Amino acid sequence: MSIQNLNTYDPFADAIKSSEDDVQDGLVHVRIQQRNGRKTLTTVQGLSSEYDLKKIVRACKKEFACNGTVVEHPEYGEVLQLQGDQRENICQWLTKSGLVKPEQLKVHGF
Amino acid sequence: MDDDMVFDPSLKKKKKKKTGFDIDAALAGEQGESTSVEAPAGTGDVDLPEDDNLDLDNFGKKKKKKKKGVFNMEELESTLPETPPAEEPEQQEDEVIDDLDLDIDFSKTKKKKKKKNIEELVLEDDKGEDQENVEDVSGDLWSGTDRDYTYDELLERVFDIMREKNPSMVSGKKQKFIMRPPQVVRIGTKKTSFANFTEICKTLHRQPKHLLDFLLAELGTSGSVDGNSQLIIKGRFQQKQIENVLRRYIKEYVTCHTCRSPDTILQKDTRLFFLQCETCGSRCSVASIKSGFQAVTGKRAAIRAKTA
Ligand SMILES: [Zn+2]
Repeated sequence: MSIQNLNTYDPFADAIKSSEDDVQDGLVHVRIQQRNGRKTLTTVQGLSSEYDLKKIVRACKKEFACNGTVVEHPEYGEVLQLQGDQRENICQWLTKSGLVKPEQLKVHGF
Repeated sequence: MDDDMVFDPSLKKKKKKKTGFDIDAALAGEQGESTSVEAPAGTGDVDLPEDDNLDLDNFGKKKKKKKKGVFNMEELESTLPETPPAEEPEQQEDEVIDDLDLDIDFSKTKKKKKKKNIEELVLEDDKGEDQENVEDVSGDLWSGTDRDYTYDELLERVFDIMREKNPSMVSGKKQKFIMRPPQVVRIGTKKTSFANFTEICKTLHRQPKHLLDFLLAELGTSGSVDGNSQLIIKGRFQQKQIENVLRRYIKEYVTCHTCRSPDTILQKDTRLFFLQCETCGSRCSVASIKSGFQAVTGKRAAIRAKTA
C-alpha cells in the first residue's frame, strides 16, 4: 500500500516544460510583411511545438486558398508562412480549431 | 491626408457612441463645467471620421496653438450631447413600431397593444428614475436607520466621493489625444516617407528611437531617419496604416494603462520598460519591442548567391 502524499510530484513540471517549449512569451505572433509590389506574406510565430505544423499548413492552404510553408528558425522554432494577408483568416482558424486561445494571439502590422 | 485631419489615436473603430450609461452622462455634465479653459477647441473634436468639416475647421486653430508652442495633447471631450436624454430611447422604439406598421401589414390591434405597453413602461420607468433621483439627492439613506445599505447605494456613494474629491481623475476616463496626423508620402515605388515623424515623437514625448523600433517591428520592414528628420520606410504604406500602428503605440507606450492619461514617462529599468503615470502615479511594465521572426522576402537569386 502506497501513501499518496509521499509520492514525488513536481507541481511545476508543466510550467517548466512549457517555458522551454515557447522560446518567447507564450504568445502567438501573427505578422505581415510586404514583399515586392503589392504582395504580402503572413507569418505565425510561437505555435506550440507539440502541434504538427505541417498538418496545420496543409489545412490552411486549402482553407484560405493560398500557398504556405513551415520554416525552421534557430531562435523562434517552427514558423508558419502563408502568402497574402491571411491575418484575419489564420486568427479565426486558430481559435476556432481550439489550437490557440484568443488572448494568446497577438496580431502585428498595419 | 484624405480623411480626418485631426487624428485621434484613441479612436476605436467607430464604436461606443450610443452607450447610454448614466455615469458617463453624469461625468460629461461635470466635465463641461470643469474644462471651460480648454473648451473652445474641444467643441468640434468629437473624433469620429464623419465630422470632417468640423475637424477641418478646428485644424486651423490647432495649428496656431502649436506655433505658440502650446501642445494641446489632453483635450477633454466636448460636452456635446453624446448621451441622449433619458426619454429618447423609448421614443425611438415607438418610431420603429410605426415604421413596421407602414411596411408590413400585421394586425394593427396587436401593435397598438404593444405600444400601449411600452408607454406604460415608460411611465413606470420615469417613476422609477424619479425615485432613484430622490435617493441620490438625500445621500446616505441608511444612516440613522437599522437597515443595511444596498450595493447600488454604496456604489453611488463612492462615485460621488470620487467625483467630488478628484474631478480630473474621473474625467480622465475621457481624455483624448488630439495630434496632427502622420504625413505619409510615397517615394518612388518602393519607399514611403513619414514626413512629420520627429514632430510626432515630440508630441508624444517619446524618443524617436523607441517609436522607430516599434514602427519597423510592426511593419516588418526596415527604415531610417534622414537628414530632413523624416522617416524613410522600405515598402509602400498608406497614411491609414501608419495611423493604425501609431494608435497601437500610443495605447501601449503613451497612455497610462490604469487611467489612460497621456501624461506619462517611459523609463528603462533593467532591460524592461516601465510606464510611469504622472496623473495617477501608477507604474506598470510595458511589452518590449521585438521584431520577432522575419521571413526572407528578397529575390531568390540573391538569397542563393548569399548562401552559396
Ligand atoms: Zn494613470
